[in-house]
Amino acid sequence: MIRTGILGIDEMLGSGIPKGSKVIFSLEPGVDGRPFIFRILRTVLSGGKNVLVIAPQATEKAFLSDFSRMMDANPGMGPGKMVILDSSVRERINTRLKGSRSRWKEWQKIIRETIGESGIEVLFVYFDLLYEDFGLEPALQLLPSGEEYRSLTTIVEHLNLEGDSLISGFASGGYFDLIISVHSNISSVPFFNFFTLEYVSWSRMPRRSVPYTVTDGTIRLYIPKIIVTGPPSSGKSTFVANASDSGLSVDRGDIDGFKTTVAMDLGWLHLRGFDITLFGTPGQPRFDPIIPQIIRNAMGIIMVIDATRPETLPRARELLTLAYSARIPVVVAVNKADLPHKMDERQVRQSLKLREAIPVLFISSLRRSDVHSVLESMIDHITRYSP
Amino acid sequence: MYIYRTGIRLIDEKKGGLSPGSNILILAPSMSSGERLGYSVARPAPGEYALILSTVMRAVDLLDFFSESRIDPSRIGIIDAVSKLSTPDISDSTQVRYVSSPSDLTGIGIKFSSMVESIFNGEFADSGDALFPPPVRFYIDSLTTLLMYRRLEVIYQFLHVVTAKLKKMDAIGIYALNNESFDEKTLSLIKQLMNVVIEIKNEQHGDFLRVRGLPGVTQEWVHFQITGEGLEVVI
Repeated sequence: MIRTGILGIDEMLGSGIPKGSKVIFSLEPGVDGRPFIFRILRTVLSGGKNVLVIAPQATEKAFLSDFSRMMDANPGMGPGKMVILDSSVRERINTRLKGSRSRWKEWQKIIRETIGESGIEVLFVYFDLLYEDFGLEPALQLLPSGEEYRSLTTIVEHLNLEGDSLISGFASGGYFDLIISVHSNISSVPFFNFFTLEYVSWSRMPRRSVPYTVTDGTIRLYIPKIIVTGPPSSGKSTFVANASDSGLSVDRGDIDGFKTTVAMDLGWLHLRGFDITLFGTPGQPRFDPIIPQIIRNAMGIIMVIDATRPETLPRARELLTLAYSARIPVVVAVNKADLPHKMDERQVRQSLKLREAIPVLFISSLRRSDVHSVLESMIDHITRYSP
Repeated sequence: MYIYRTGIRLIDEKKGGLSPGSNILILAPSMSSGERLGYSVARPAPGEYALILSTVMRAVDLLDFFSESRIDPSRIGIIDAVSKLSTPDISDSTQVRYVSSPSDLTGIGIKFSSMVESIFNGEFADSGDALFPPPVRFYIDSLTTLLMYRRLEVIYQFLHVVTAKLKKMDAIGIYALNNESFDEKTLSLIKQLMNVVIEIKNEQHGDFLRVRGLPGVTQEWVHFQITGEGLEVVI
C-alpha cells in the first residue's frame, strides 16, 4: 500500500492506495489541490520511493518553491529522489517537433526513459496541458500501463472544467482505480471545501463526500455533527464530556433533584484524522419537538441507553424513530455495563428493532477508552456507510 | 439591488450602472486605451473591492501604475501571472498572489478563491464603509494572453466557470481582449459569455467607444478620453 499521508483518507481507503494503482484528483475550478498532491508526494518521498513529477504548467523552480513553502520541507530531504519534467520540457518538445503525433511520441519516450533510468515507483502528473495538447484519450495513454509498469503508482491532478460527465467517463472507462473529486464553495459564507470519493476499484465503497480544512498544509477531515441521544439519565452528558477534548453542557436541576440537559451538550475532539463535533440532545420527551432540528445535517447518531434500566428501552425506541427519518448511520452504546445488569445484545436489538449492520457496544461512559471505541465505530460507519 | 457604477457617463446616466453578475468585454486594438479603460471600470467605488488578474504587468508595476493614477490600492487584490516566471521564490501577500504562468488556470482559480475568501473575511483594508456581501469587480487583463497560452475551448470553459462564480457572488467581471489578434469565431464565442461589449477604436482625433448589449444606451461611436489622474473617463 502507498500511504497518502492524509489520515482520514487512508482510513477510508483501508490504509492507503494499493501499489500500481492509478489515482486522479479531479479539481473543481478554484479549489486548491496542492495540499492533497504535495502531502502524498512528501509521504512517498519520506517513505524512500523515487518519484517522477510531470508539471508542464510550471518551471521546476516554481514547483519546488511552492512545495517547500506549503509542506515546510525540502524536496531533496530524501530518502526518495524526485525528478521533474517541467514547462521547459514541454516548450522544448513543442519548439523542436511539429505535429501532435510526434510530440506525443516524444513525451512517451521521455516519460518511459525517465521511469526506467531513475527507478521511479510513483508518477505524479499535472494533466491539464497534456489533455489540451493531445486530447483526452491520447493523454491518458501517456500514463504508463501494462505488465512492465505493474508496480508503478500514478497520481494525477486535473482541473475539471467539464463537470460530472468527465468524472463519469473516467469511472466507466476504467482509466483509474481511485477517483476523488475536490470541491469548494465560494458562493456563501462560511467558505468550505469537501472532497468526494467517486470511485474505488479495490473495494465496494459507496460514493461519499467529506468536508475538510487545511491548516499549515495539513488536511483535516471533519465531521460537522454527530448526535448523541438517548433516554433521560442514560449518561449522554458524561459520554460527550469524556469523548471530547473540549466542550460545554447546559444542565439545570430537575424537579427530582437530578441535573438534566435542557438545551444540548457540545463537544469537540480530534480522532483518527477527523475533527468531530458532538451534539448531545436532551432525553426528556418534552424536548422531542427540537430533536429533528438538532439532527438536521448530522452525519451519525449515537444512541446511549442504560444497561441497568431496561424499562427505558421504549423511550430509546421513540428517539430512534425520530432519528431514523434522517437515514444516517446509528451506533448503540449500552452504557453502565460496568454495573450489575441483565440486558444483553439480543434484547437491545429486539427492543429497538435494530438492523444487523448497526453496532451495539457495551461500555462505561466513565471510561474514555470505551467512549472512543464507540466513536471509532461511528467513524467506520460514517466512512463506509451505505444507506 | 446593488448597482456598480462604471464611470462611463453614457452607461451610468442611462442605466444607473451595471447590475451584479454583469460581464463586460472590452474589445480594443493594440496601442489603444482599452486596458486603461478596463482599469477605470474596475476601480472600486467606496465599500467595494477589485480583483485584478494580470497576465501582462507584474504586480509591482501595477502598484506603481495605481500610484501614478491616484488609485487607492488598499482594496485591490492582484493575481500576478507574470512575476513567477522570472522570480520563482516570490511569496504571496494578502493582496498580491502569484501563479506560475498565464497557462496555470488551476493556480489562477485557487488564488481567485483565496482572494475572495480574504475579502469576505475582512482581511483587506476596511475603509469603514464596507458593505456585506462585499461588492467585487474582477478584471482580467487580459484574455489576449490567456488565449495565447491555452486553447479557445479551454478558456471558454474556464470563463464559463468564472462568470458563474461571479454571478453567485453578485460581483461583476471585466475582460480586456485585443480584437486584432483573433478571428471572428473566437470573438463571437467569448461574446457569448458577456452581457455588455465595449468596442474601442483609435482614430486620428482620439479614441472612440461603442457600447453594445445595454438597451437604451446609444450604440453610436462616442469620443472619449481617460484623464491621467484617477482614470476618469470623459465623454
